[in-house]
Amino acid sequence: MADLVGVFAASHTPVMLNFPDAVEEADRSAVYDEFRKLGAALAATKPQTVIVISDDHLHNFFLDNLPAFCIGAADSYASPAEHWLAVDRHALRGDSALSAHVLGEALEAGFDPAFSMQLTLDHGVLTPLVLAGLSRQVAIVPILVNCVQPPLPTMARCLQWGRFLSTAIRSYRGCERVAILATGGISHDVATPRMGMINEAFDREFLRLLELDDSEQLLRFATDHVNEAGNGAEEIRNWLMAHGAAAGHRFELQFYRPLHKWYTGIGMARWHTGDAS
Amino acid sequence: MRNWQQDIPTIQAYWIDRVLFDVHHKEGHLQRYNASPDAYLSAIPLSAEIKALIRDNAVGALYLAGANPYLLRAHCLGLHMPDAEFVASLRAVAGEARRG
Repeated sequence: MADLVGVFAASHTPVMLNFPDAVEEADRSAVYDEFRKLGAALAATKPQTVIVISDDHLHNFFLDNLPAFCIGAADSYASPAEHWLAVDRHALRGDSALSAHVLGEALEAGFDPAFSMQLTLDHGVLTPLVLAGLSRQVAIVPILVNCVQPPLPTMARCLQWGRFLSTAIRSYRGCERVAILATGGISHDVATPRMGMINEAFDREFLRLLELDDSEQLLRFATDHVNEAGNGAEEIRNWLMAHGAAAGHRFELQFYRPLHKWYTGIGMARWHTGDAS
Repeated sequence: MRNWQQDIPTIQAYWIDRVLFDVHHKEGHLQRYNASPDAYLSAIPLSAEIKALIRDNAVGALYLAGANPYLLRAHCLGLHMPDAEFVASLRAVAGEARRG
């Protein structure tokens, strides 16, 4: 049976790659250094596959067919989906066997994900993996959550998904070591009149509640206050999935800094699961 | 302010989004759009006023009309619109954004 050897989360934004000079050198260096540290910590858990929980920013999906949850089920994923993203084109290695297992277990457990055997992954998956130095190192299973076009799945459903995911990983016989990386958030607005404004108080309270590990308070806060933190903050769903998967293991904030010129409250964290606990 | 202008897109928003999506995801569409936005938009079932907003990169007005913000952002990045202009257009409509 596989062990969930580590659970991690990190913000993503294309401007970290496209407009690196938009922020002060000290901020840029700090963020890039922290991504490298996160990559090293994740690599140290020696995962055979990393389940990357992120969202498709309307590149693979559109309003004609938009799943709430979609599991990538390919052996390889092209990237990036954005022709304008400042990163070299390269394929990310997939783990279709683990994808198939999670998909089957999800349906048995009463979840109803879509699946796709051909995804071109965007900055949501790519930015953290590239900055962490992992995009060519690890096999992945992408799970894409709709955080970008209402109606959105509830915060509670995302936490439930995470709990299920932990169970599914631990019932897998195909490998021994699986990690999770959730990406997105925290407070930011994309293409709204608030773009560039960051609700730092929201971010710090959300992070505090992750550390406190009180699911009821966490869900109440996320549900009731996400509109104060920006449409990009809807990506806390991905963090909630990670939190559910971590199932009470200790949360540790690695880094937080609100960077207005990158439009985003940048956060990185881990939950100490498995061998790393 | 709320995170989204619409809880589910209107049909008008769908067609705005259809343009923003297709231009950057369908082979040859970006070239066709850049060659002549008016010609590209001619067959789209949107009013002349909305087509003009798309053609003129009227970001704030498109946001109010329900364009998906991610598609709007990606469209303007893909057209190399300066970020300062992009943000200024949005700030200008702050008073009209959905509240509650």
